Amino acid sequence: MNSGNNRPNFFIREIPLIVLLVFWVIYAGIEIIRDRFDLLTSVIPTGLFIIAYIVVRLTSKEQKGQG
Amino acid sequence: MDTFLALELIALALTGLLIWHSARTRGVTFTWMFFLGGAFLGLVRENVVAQVAALNLYSYNPATFHLWIGAAPLILMVFWSYTIYLALTFSEVIVGGNLIGGKRKVRVILLAMVFMASYACLNEAFASIYPLVLWKFKPTLTIWGGTPAMVLWGYAGMALIFLTTLLLVYKLRIRTIYRVMVFCASVVVMIPLHLLWIAIFRLATSAIG
Repeated sequence: MNSGNNRPNFFIREIPLIVLLVFWVIYAGIEIIRDRFDLLTSVIPTGLFIIAYIVVRLTSKEQKGQG
Repeated sequence: MDTFLALELIALALTGLLIWHSARTRGVTFTWMFFLGGAFLGLVRENVVAQVAALNLYSYNPATFHLWIGAAPLILMVFWSYTIYLALTFSEVIVGGNLIGGKRKVRVILLAMVFMASYACLNEAFASIYPLVLWKFKPTLTIWGGTPAMVLWGYAGMALIFLTTLLLVYKLRIRTIYRVMVFCASVVVMIPLHLLWIAIFRLATSAIG
């Protein structure tokens, strides 16, 4: 784990969010193209995690922890 | 280029980004354990599941995947690693915990299980389109075009087993190389545990059905 003096930059810190968003968009996009899109399964469950993650990141004063 | 081959390569590249993130934020020991152990787990487990007929679970669709190791698609070498890594990182950030540091580790693991079930919703809905998996049994409860409902339970259980084993092995007071080796070897325990976890769900739902 990095100390505060060696904190990775914004891009590195947010790699997990970027990766999940890419998977999210690709999967949902293909489901839309194949006419199998389902909001309840494809978007909402992981979407809630993405929203919670962003809210915590934005409201956290210290931003300690992983990434 | 075939769409699904492109997806396989994208998944490998994105896993590379996660390995970079892990090495920078969690250290080299953790990263070797997590991603090498995850690769062993994926490789061995998926070959066992696909080839052992007695398990009566599933095999992978040869018409869809391009890159293989035995009876398992190459992508399964990184699949469990990247999904559980995302589950761990999102859960740690949301509950303000740290699994290895011991801060709120139970809440981190529980939320990681919920994340995995949520990710299963996304992934299995997508998987049912091609389909990626050929089911060998007729499940009692199904979702999305015949996908057994047990996949949500299965994903959650994998996070529980993987993260708990990782935590136990990481705390061993032995050299880094031995910790990595012990964690890789522990797949022989994790796989039966996970198959047992799935069997419990199948047994419970067949009783209901």
